[in-house]
Amino acid sequence: MIYDNIDYIIVMYEAVICCIDKENSKGGFVMSKMRKILAMLLALMMVFTLFAACDKKNDENPNVPAGTNGDSKDKDKQNTNDKDEKPNDVTLVTVSMYGGTDPNAENYQNFNAEFMAEHSYITIEDDSQSADQDWKTKIAADFAVGNEPDVIQYFTDANASDVLAADKFVSIDEIRAEYPDYAKDILDSALKAAANPDGVQRAVPTTGYWEGLFCNKDLFDQYNLELPTDWDKMLTAIETFKENGIIPIAVSLNNVPHYWVEFLMLSAAGPDEFAVVPEEAPESWAKGLDMFKTLRDLGAFPVDTDTIDNDLAGELFKNKEAAMQLDGSWYLGGIPDQDNTVLVSFPVIPGGKAQPGAMVGGISSGFYITKKAWNDPDKRDAAVKFVMAHTSKDAITTYWGGNGQAAAAVDPLDTMTPLGVSGLEYSSAASSISSPTDSRISQEAYNTLIAGIVDVSTGAKSSTDLLNEVLAINAK
Amino acid sequence: MLYKKKWPLLIFLLPGFLMMLIFLYLPFIDNIRNSLYDMTSIVKMPGQEFKYIGLDNYKYLFEDPKIRISIINSLKMMGLTIVFQIGIALILAIMVDSVKHGQQFFRIVYFFPIVISATAIGLVFQLFYNYKGGMLNQVMAFLGKEPINWLAPSMAFIMISIPILWSYVGFYFVILLTGINGISHEVYEAASIDGCSRFKQIFYITLPLLRGVICTCVTLGVTGALKVFDIPWAIVPKGAPQGLTHFLGTYMYEQTFTIGNFDYGSTIALLMVVFGIVVSWLVNKIIKPDDNL
Repeated sequence: MIYDNIDYIIVMYEAVICCIDKENSKGGFVMSKMRKILAMLLALMMVFTLFAACDKKNDENPNVPAGTNGDSKDKDKQNTNDKDEKPNDVTLVTVSMYGGTDPNAENYQNFNAEFMAEHSYITIEDDSQSADQDWKTKIAADFAVGNEPDVIQYFTDANASDVLAADKFVSIDEIRAEYPDYAKDILDSALKAAANPDGVQRAVPTTGYWEGLFCNKDLFDQYNLELPTDWDKMLTAIETFKENGIIPIAVSLNNVPHYWVEFLMLSAAGPDEFAVVPEEAPESWAKGLDMFKTLRDLGAFPVDTDTIDNDLAGELFKNKEAAMQLDGSWYLGGIPDQDNTVLVSFPVIPGGKAQPGAMVGGISSGFYITKKAWNDPDKRDAAVKFVMAHTSKDAITTYWGGNGQAAAAVDPLDTMTPLGVSGLEYSSAASSISSPTDSRISQEAYNTLIAGIVDVSTGAKSSTDLLNEVLAINAK
Repeated sequence: MLYKKKWPLLIFLLPGFLMMLIFLYLPFIDNIRNSLYDMTSIVKMPGQEFKYIGLDNYKYLFEDPKIRISIINSLKMMGLTIVFQIGIALILAIMVDSVKHGQQFFRIVYFFPIVISATAIGLVFQLFYNYKGGMLNQVMAFLGKEPINWLAPSMAFIMISIPILWSYVGFYFVILLTGINGISHEVYEAASIDGCSRFKQIFYITLPLLRGVICTCVTLGVTGALKVFDIPWAIVPKGAPQGLTHFLGTYMYEQTFTIGNFDYGSTIALLMVVFGIVVSWLVNKIIKPDDNL
């Protein structure tokens, strides 16, 4: 818009100058003075246009309560509610974590396409991406400056604390008061699990997740190794694979050591101690993290574990160059060899307080409707329909696909692969389910923990020092 | 006194000034303020208050081992920039100036890396250095040698410096070649008539007359070295391995956007600005252009 205005001004300026040039030949001081005045006026117009362009969004901002935005919008609302009349065209801005390399990215886009085909008056402008720290920062900034989307699939736990602080989401209770069928397929237990830290239910979840140890069973068979169901078997496997040029554990310590952080601390502390955030570094947590150095010294990690990213670590596992990898249920669908890959409970580390089968998992994300969309009479209905389309039993069955937990009472799938069955058995047999640490401590604290893992693994920093630093940040 | 009235000029300067004020100076002042508060999010949400922590972040600068590595690496990069970027650019410029035909061709060839996105260069070099299937290790395998971890702690800084230095040689090459072209040919002709060899002409004519241009290149180089970010981040993010390849720019980014320590990130940003001002002032003091030339 600003460019249109500037172009217009430039064209006007050229036209005026052209006229003046013609007059100037008749000439004189008056024309010269007029030219200067006009030039100054145009410069001033450019300055004001800049401000006008910056300010224009406010005029269009629908982030005002219904009924305070003039009669026309009220009329629009009436029109929308009137089934006989065609609803106004709506552009719905949506964001989800089903983007990038997420196995559900395609399903999500397919549902969007179906939704737009079914509701021809709704256009979806989607900006889905894989959730990483940079993305979370961008989302938080968008919410702070009033640039939030209409619907967002986002975290429900402490990861969402920045965004929740802006108080821009509508609660499910409020939506159900007007749309009683909203989230009707979702299990109550799933809705409770997806409640925000303040206990309010705002997000409608689709799936939950678990994290587990993926093993290339064919590699274990090839070297006559037992699956690492206890720590001794794990050490034997590491030594044997190392001797035979196979990377025992695919992990990028510089990029995503998260799963190892969770399981090592859970294994050492047990589910109860793991779930409590202390003020000082607990011995058990430190003991768990110390295992990074033990494993590194054993040569369990790739030579370039400090420099590769998580995708490359994943490729090592998928290409059978690595034997084991800790990852989440979302990783299952992307593994090409669904027949020879199995899931194993993380073995309890020596002296660990966890029971065998202790698992990290939970429900940590869901679809939110923002007040911006809710307060816009046209968008309200479209946003509700959009969320209902993505959280129907059919949609959830597709998203679930046999991986992780489904937030609705889905029917078992006939098409589950052997790895899918292994995942289901693994998660069903869990002796305990603990949510990860980042759902309990602040983002800055958790990121400091993750950033310090390489130093702990090399011995450059003690695990106790790192944990004390992390807990001090969390306590701020 | 070209213009009798100065105030119309002010009106024309106003748009540019406003842009600078809004997008540069105000954020800079805000950045200083941010470094004095404990920011729990990147932007203050409505109703949120940040705790005032005074100079805590500045005190932590003296205790943080990673900032020490970042400063040392940035200083090393300044030295390498002067020696390799400007040094190689100077040699290339002198050689290309001596070429009678195809000067334009060499200009394009040497300037070409500048037009390639730094991220693309970083990704290409990442593919070169990969331990598994990287180009260099494919060459090693072809030669029957064991693969090398090119980004191991002992060599990572050198390997990351290579694309940084290579990518900007062309920039200084073009500046220096333009400077050489600006030297009058009559001076060289006179020197030739007096029996001065082509080699001596470089030391007694070209380099002294290029001093001002070289000074500009050195200032641009050392201040540019402070802002190094994109290529190292594309090859190995977060100062990997083990934080040894952090520069001030990458460490500031990691603290701010990866860890979420926004206030400490602001402190490092301010340190970079102060460092840049001090370094460029020092460079100008040391290699001040000769006023007589």
